[in-house]
Amino acid sequence: MSRPVVEVTGLTVRYAGATALDGVDLAVGEGELVALIGANGAGKSTLVKALSGLLRPHAGTITVRGRLAQVPEGREMFGDLTVDDNLRLGGWRNPEGRRGRDTSPIYELLPELSDLRRRRAGSLSGGQQQMVAIGRALMARPDILVVDELSLGLAPLVVTTLVGHLRTLNTERGLAVLLIEQNARLALDMCERAYVLETGRIALHGAAKDLARDPQVTAAYLGGHVEAGGGLEAGGHVEVGGGQEAGGRLEAGGHASGGHVEAAT
Amino acid sequence: MSDLLGYIVTGLGIGAGFALVASGLVAIYRVTRVVNFAQGAFAVLAAMLTASLLGSGVPHGVAELGGVALGAITGLLVGVVAIGRPGTSPGTSLIVTLGLGVLAYAIEILIWGDQPRSYPGVPGVAEVGGARLQAHYLLIVAVTGPVFAVMAWFFARTDLGKALSACASNRYAAQVVGIDVRRMGLLAFAIGGALGGLAGVLTTPVQQVTFDSDVALIVNGFAAAVLGGLTRPGVALAGGLLLGVAQTLVAGYGGGAYQVEVALVLMLTVMIVQAARTGPVAETAR
Amino acid sequence: MKRLGFGVLALLLVALPPLLPERHLATFVLLTLAAAVTVGVSLLMGYAGQVSLGQASFYAIGAYTAGLLAVHGTPPLLGLLAAPVIAAVAAVLLGAPLLRLRGHHLAFATLAVQLILLSLLAQADWAGGAIGLQGIPRFSVGGFELRNDLGYAYLSCGVLAIALLVARNVVASRAGRGLRAAATSEVAAAASGVAVGGYRLAVFALSAAFAGLAGGVYAFYLGYLAPGSFPVLLSIEYVVMAVVGGLGTIAGPVVGATVIVLLVQVLNTLGTQPGMPDYAPTVLNYAVYALLLVVCVLFLPKGLVPALDRVRRGSLDKARSIR
Repeated sequence: MSRPVVEVTGLTVRYAGATALDGVDLAVGEGELVALIGANGAGKSTLVKALSGLLRPHAGTITVRGRLAQVPEGREMFGDLTVDDNLRLGGWRNPEGRRGRDTSPIYELLPELSDLRRRRAGSLSGGQQQMVAIGRALMARPDILVVDELSLGLAPLVVTTLVGHLRTLNTERGLAVLLIEQNARLALDMCERAYVLETGRIALHGAAKDLARDPQVTAAYLGGHVEAGGGLEAGGHVEVGGGQEAGGRLEAGGHASGGHVEAAT
Repeated sequence: MSDLLGYIVTGLGIGAGFALVASGLVAIYRVTRVVNFAQGAFAVLAAMLTASLLGSGVPHGVAELGGVALGAITGLLVGVVAIGRPGTSPGTSLIVTLGLGVLAYAIEILIWGDQPRSYPGVPGVAEVGGARLQAHYLLIVAVTGPVFAVMAWFFARTDLGKALSACASNRYAAQVVGIDVRRMGLLAFAIGGALGGLAGVLTTPVQQVTFDSDVALIVNGFAAAVLGGLTRPGVALAGGLLLGVAQTLVAGYGGGAYQVEVALVLMLTVMIVQAARTGPVAETAR
Repeated sequence: MKRLGFGVLALLLVALPPLLPERHLATFVLLTLAAAVTVGVSLLMGYAGQVSLGQASFYAIGAYTAGLLAVHGTPPLLGLLAAPVIAAVAAVLLGAPLLRLRGHHLAFATLAVQLILLSLLAQADWAGGAIGLQGIPRFSVGGFELRNDLGYAYLSCGVLAIALLVARNVVASRAGRGLRAAATSEVAAAASGVAVGGYRLAVFALSAAFAGLAGGVYAFYLGYLAPGSFPVLLSIEYVVMAVVGGLGTIAGPVVGATVIVLLVQVLNTLGTQPGMPDYAPTVLNYAVYALLLVVCVLFLPKGLVPALDRVRRGSLDKARSIR
């Protein structure tokens, strides 16, 4: 891994006594595509909030070298404002003043937005809103984009387009992406490395293609079929019922699958 | 007929004052979800200071600006107390602003006493379409119009205004893009304070002000604002003007009685109809 | 523990009035009446989760009911009994539409009701208009007339005791539990079959009845009523007392009313010292209400009584854990 843009060590977050994250270690290198998969309630959203500085961790450190921008879960539009205003506000913290809020580069990167610029963001479809959310995050000229649930509630074709954009941004601009996804197949297919978060801990991490072949990951997150590549066709979500149960098995089986996948506890 | 026209123009002048108070309430509510009970106090403080400044020889214009500035500063201070502590719920903030409104009584009496105050505005009588009315009402209308235009431009065209609207639209998203929601809330309080102050400064020459004039102002302002669900400044303007005209007509043709009831009954009706339409649970408790 | 507290309070209420000098008896009467009204406000805010900024309207309705009936020759006891009934009926009629509102809407609606009432009273010649209703006879039951302040002190104590006992029973009842649930989550309470609307209206009426009864005593005590005796600020004072004492506690209203009335008395004495400007008492009065309200809401959101409870329990817990 190259020099990390984001480095998280021993991150612990508690809500009213309950531990949401427990000693999480995670790193994303420059220009790297990294996935974080896990079931509902595993602590993914908490991690996103901590990374964006919206939550104060109880213990551990988060180091961000460069700029981090977030594409929040549920897209979180400024529904009453136009698409262009949504984008402009993405550049709110840019130090260059008005020039920092020039939205024209975004329309070059995401040409689909050009025709929508005067529309109210609240009136757009889910896929269009997700595109606006990505554009708004790009306005901050980030070195790393944290994307929380890219595919949630979107049609497979739309997801394919969005993934295409993220890949292009990654290869052409060297943008690092941390993709937080319930759809493990999509995440493992798009990214180089992946972490598996279970009940607040990193249960596994390793190369995405190794994890995709790991029998435990396959059983828990990929619906039981070992199917490397072509994940995008799956489109829908892989729902995982008992995350806790799966956690026990994964930890036990982590070493069995060979040197590539290490249990990170 | 000329009576009617006179009443309407007078009513527009009075209503413009309500509309300014209402738009201050709206500016604060949109960004912070707090109904600011101290909104009437901004008007009273601004009017009192203006009266003092004029009394000590400060020229017109400067004295009025001083009053508006005091409104803005007071607004900021109220905001600091009401929303400054992280985790203060809007319901709690409402009670805090209620307390600060009463505190304003103490301060006003301490500095200015409990007697009504006023100062001369635009002198003389104007004729509009054959109707004669105090010329100052025309000034109130002439100032309020452009103020609302500037406000509309500010919220729709400037980045700062858009950031305020963003906080109103989606608080979480505002935080995600790095807008300091609390600071925007304080800015909203300052704007609300200035608008309340302007209302007091403009209307005092035609309606003298006492320390407890704030109750009538806040109730009329709230009545105007609630027409637009407390979030739409345009509706608040229309509502304020409507209330002003309705009250003047009732006072003019009804011999002075029951003009207070007009605003209050209208406000109650609007709220009950709104609640019936959205269902009682839509508004989260407190 | 609870029973003991009641006993101590009852003892205090019975033993204190004769010991007080005449000039402080008036304060005692007004304090006790205010506490009785605040019991209702606290019930409404703490258990129904709603702020009323118009509670003084029901105080006024009760006072005018008793006063008008007495002026027209009805026996005072009947007038006093009618006061809470009429206030509660008014609350039901007003509450049916108004209690659909929540939060700040309800706060402004109750405030509006009071302003309308004051304006109507000021224009109502049959009620004395703005000048007020004069010549209300003293309270009497079957030839026995309450002449001195001591009698009214005991009468108002009785009113407070009734309010406290009724409130305690309501809180302990099934309806009370349902209301508490509704104050936290209306949807959840409604889903589990709590008749939220009905309970809330009942509490509103009950709180109005407390205010009406206290208002009735007030009418006979002063013998004179005017719209100016029931300003909006009076309603705010009840809210301050309820908040300062602690919402949803039984002792809270009494503690809140006592703390505030005593503080205001002390400051009044201070403000009327020679050398103080003549506006000093008013200024201090407003400042006390304002600062107590703001400080309590921000720093002691549960009020004095629960805060003191917590301190006491905290020290007990510590003692236990050391052992």
